[in-house]
Amino acid sequence: MADTGGQQLFDLWKKQVEDGTQQWLKMMGTPQAQTLDPQAFWRPFMDHCMAGWAKVMTQGTASPDLMGQWKQFLDQWIAAWSKVLEQAMGTEAFAKVIGTQLEGFLNAAGPAKKAAEQHIEATLGGLGIPSRSQVTGIARQIVQLEEKLEGVEDRLEAVLKRLNDLAAALRQEPR
Amino acid sequence: MKDELFTMATEIPGLSPEARARWQHEMERTLLRMKHFAEMVMNPQEPVVGPTPRQEIYRKNKSRLYRYASTRTHRTPLLFVPNLGISRPYIFDLMAHGSFVEHMTQQGFDFYLVDWGVFGEEDNGLTVEDAVTKILPRLAQKALESSGASEMSVLGYCMGAPLSACFVATHPEFPAKNYINMAGPIDFAHVGLFGLWLDPRFFDVDKYVDTLGSVPPDMIKAGFKLLKPTMDLSAGLNLWWNLWNPEYVSGFNALNKWANEYVAFPGEFFRQWVREFYQENRLIRGELVMGGTKVNLARITCPVLAVGAREDNIAPPGCVKPLIEAVGSTDREYVEMPGGHISLIAGRGASVHCWPTVASWLAARS
Repeated sequence: MADTGGQQLFDLWKKQVEDGTQQWLKMMGTPQAQTLDPQAFWRPFMDHCMAGWAKVMTQGTASPDLMGQWKQFLDQWIAAWSKVLEQAMGTEAFAKVIGTQLEGFLNAAGPAKKAAEQHIEATLGGLGIPSRSQVTGIARQIVQLEEKLEGVEDRLEAVLKRLNDLAAALRQEPR
Repeated sequence: MKDELFTMATEIPGLSPEARARWQHEMERTLLRMKHFAEMVMNPQEPVVGPTPRQEIYRKNKSRLYRYASTRTHRTPLLFVPNLGISRPYIFDLMAHGSFVEHMTQQGFDFYLVDWGVFGEEDNGLTVEDAVTKILPRLAQKALESSGASEMSVLGYCMGAPLSACFVATHPEFPAKNYINMAGPIDFAHVGLFGLWLDPRFFDVDKYVDTLGSVPPDMIKAGFKLLKPTMDLSAGLNLWWNLWNPEYVSGFNALNKWANEYVAFPGEFFRQWVREFYQENRLIRGELVMGGTKVNLARITCPVLAVGAREDNIAPPGCVKPLIEAVGSTDREYVEMPGGHISLIAGRGASVHCWPTVASWLAARS
């Protein structure tokens, strides 16, 4: 079995992780923080890891099972983190943080984008090269033209159908 | 090198024959992992995706309608409507023996795929309403004409489900034989993290669209990565663990190609999508108007199947299931499958759970 010193270190680390998670959730200001049990996230893979170590120690000889145990440990570690992150990201505080970050980005990006576009437009205009907005404008007109053609096509099909119906009706009419 | 390692394994004192065999097996796998890793880094191969033969039936602006022919043992063909923007639709035909399209055609359904296409800056004025009232009706009509059938089943996946539901509900002239919602959000009050992040208190969609014009692929990527931050780590770990298996590696390469190919949203589409669907939840409330017609889901009277995925964090089951109560059909069913948003329709799990369920439900009604 694992020695007492190792066990103590492991317990200490486990407690630190749990305390950290609790603090983090409190910081996020979620009312769920009071009801959450962080131990519930960590306990399964901690126990699994301990069981794995105990198995390795009792086997006496190095075994390739260790790789599988390690993979399982990592899977559970990732799953536990994923769950914690998901809970944290599901808070209004988090949504507010990313909303504020995005707004800050837009406040900075908006004028910069506009200035860059104006500058490029002027430069390309000076060189006699069509600008991005001009090319986009032409593409937009092509799309609109395609829509108009579709409209014409639809009307022609409708007229053709009506003519066919009339022709069929005339053929059926007794002379 | 391999032999030397094996020799080393046999020389560990006190090793039982069984443990030695396990060590050899593990070492062999590790060598294969290293070999495949080196191949991936030194000689990366572009994965072949979309292997099922298809024919382009119609094109409208960037959108395409494809037909995947079958032996047609079922009279009613299937029109598949995926999401617009975000990702490319080849996930539904990712690779041979791992494709929803292939499965459905093998089951005897003529399969029509709507590929919305990759929209550019010139399409920033395109709205959800345009997609529902201009593009989709035209493509659906062309599919119907091409098939020669008198009726057609419609299957909407992800965002394609609310779009196609709006289309079916507002176009009674289209002969929808059956309707399937696969992981498509209908009641946006239960749409999970995206619903919270896009809440009008935290997200100003007008400012976003007015500033950027469209939603660039990198922004979409960031949003989806944020939804599941440990996904890449988990995928990397699983890749390393299964790297010895060439089939897993080829599947990973194909999926990885798709997972990193994001598609922009046209600006006005995003504005309407976020405001009217996410923020105001108009669809389920019956307040959504498309082309001057109120979208009343009760007008969907054909048989309806809704499929939710238990681990779906994009369209959780809670936002998929309400369709069943909203439609006017008497033949309606909700099923919940294991897996997430993507694994519902792609991958080994999908081929065992979702595809056969959908195919058998349709077969009984086609």
